[in-house]
Amino acid sequence: MELVCPAGTPAALRAAVSAGADAIYCGFRDETNARNFPGLNFSAAELAEGVRFAHAHGARVLVAINTFAQTGRVGQWRKAVDEAAGCGADAVIAADLAVLDHVAKNHTGLRLHLSVQAAAATPEAIGFYVETFGVRRVVLPRILSVQEIAALNRSIDVETEAFVFGGLCVMVEGRCHLSSYATGRSPNLSGVCSPPEMVSYDEDEEGTAARLAGFTIDRYAPGQPTGYPTLCKGRFTAGEKTSYLFEDPVSLNAGNLISSLKAAGVTALKIEGRQRGKRYVTEVVRAFRKAVDAVEAGSDAGEIDRILSGMSEGGRQTAGAYRKTWR
Amino acid sequence: MADQPREGELPTFVRVLFPPVAIAPAGLLLTHCVRTLARRQPNLFDRLGEWRSARYLVAPSDLAFAFIVVPDGEKSIVHVVGKNSPGSVDVAITGPLLTLLGLLDGTLDGDALFFHRIISISGRTEAILALRNTIEDAELRPADFFGLHGIVARLADAGILNGLSVVRWLIAGRAHATGKL
Repeated sequence: MELVCPAGTPAALRAAVSAGADAIYCGFRDETNARNFPGLNFSAAELAEGVRFAHAHGARVLVAINTFAQTGRVGQWRKAVDEAAGCGADAVIAADLAVLDHVAKNHTGLRLHLSVQAAAATPEAIGFYVETFGVRRVVLPRILSVQEIAALNRSIDVETEAFVFGGLCVMVEGRCHLSSYATGRSPNLSGVCSPPEMVSYDEDEEGTAARLAGFTIDRYAPGQPTGYPTLCKGRFTAGEKTSYLFEDPVSLNAGNLISSLKAAGVTALKIEGRQRGKRYVTEVVRAFRKAVDAVEAGSDAGEIDRILSGMSEGGRQTAGAYRKTWR
Repeated sequence: MADQPREGELPTFVRVLFPPVAIAPAGLLLTHCVRTLARRQPNLFDRLGEWRSARYLVAPSDLAFAFIVVPDGEKSIVHVVGKNSPGSVDVAITGPLLTLLGLLDGTLDGDALFFHRIISISGRTEAILALRNTIEDAELRPADFFGLHGIVARLADAGILNGLSVVRWLIAGRAHATGKL
């Protein structure tokens, strides 16, 4: 199985390659990708250098151009595709029909991966993208159980890629507009759901309030670990009860499902976290490299658990929809 | 009586040894070091974008003084200021000195330190994020600040980084011995 790892900077790309990534995914320093944070991402020159480094070490580079092109500004997304191709990228990850069409018509030699933002989860939807644009791989939305992925893979003739670690979206990717109500921006159009210029951490005698666009998303007692405020993981009071209304602040860890995902026909495993630092990237990629190699070598589940035991980060984790325990 | 040091902090007497007035000239030296770095690596500050001209307050919690840093390439400025009179800033970063140095050389994960409250930030979140990503990508070594090259740079890096590791180990051992861990 292929291990696809995140890189928000050239340093993180080199770290991921050195830690054992088969492929790196990254984006340009603008709103054409869904991790549009200040100081993050690549210029065209940095991408070209990153591709050279990755290829020299036997790794591939996939460029995420996976936000939805805005009306009247499609040219910026087309330009990003052209630059990715010019830099020697191995594939473009896209969701927008205009972007997919541009790749299919103008860069026939460039692999096209369907982004998770397209939320394609049925044989019919995937078939449309494969037949219309020649998509070679589909990144599966994080709403499917392992059994559903296995059934899906039996019905399609294209590679699939599944997230195994990192931040988790509770909404269907590409269709979440929750943050738009608070900030006027969304991951789908501007590449960020909680833009940092609208985030504040305000201290008072009761602790810290994490706010987004002035709305208090959560409160933390003094010394209590905090989180980055996103609306879907906020704690709100409704019906006189305070709770995480949409989703508990947990991260995905499907490390012990690698062999199940392999049996389900998944081609590639994806680690989330282009916004994370190179130390984090190094540790996670290194652990998953060992785990994937152990699965390929036929090691048992206990050995995989031992390899990944240090990956909890002290935070709460879940297997998400891969195990739909609520059913 | 001075407060007892918290986990990861230098011993309390360090604050007394280095009052703000005595250390003020260090600002000139640090300004020179950052500007020299900018001359040798002009693209280093690009990731900061509009936040190159922001005023960052870096306040080691175990020292009596703090630094105001304006990371504007060859126009960069570093001032040493008293903690209680930093003036107007865009971002304030507070934490033990050795932890802050660990962020600079990439030894430590800034996200984890912030979310676990070992360091604290206030002010413009986008400015601190831009700085964090810039430092992450820069992969700075101690020798970069002094303009050293070749074997001298490697020796300086090894000496300084190993020295910092030893001090961190000693402080962790002291905290363990006093039951703070």
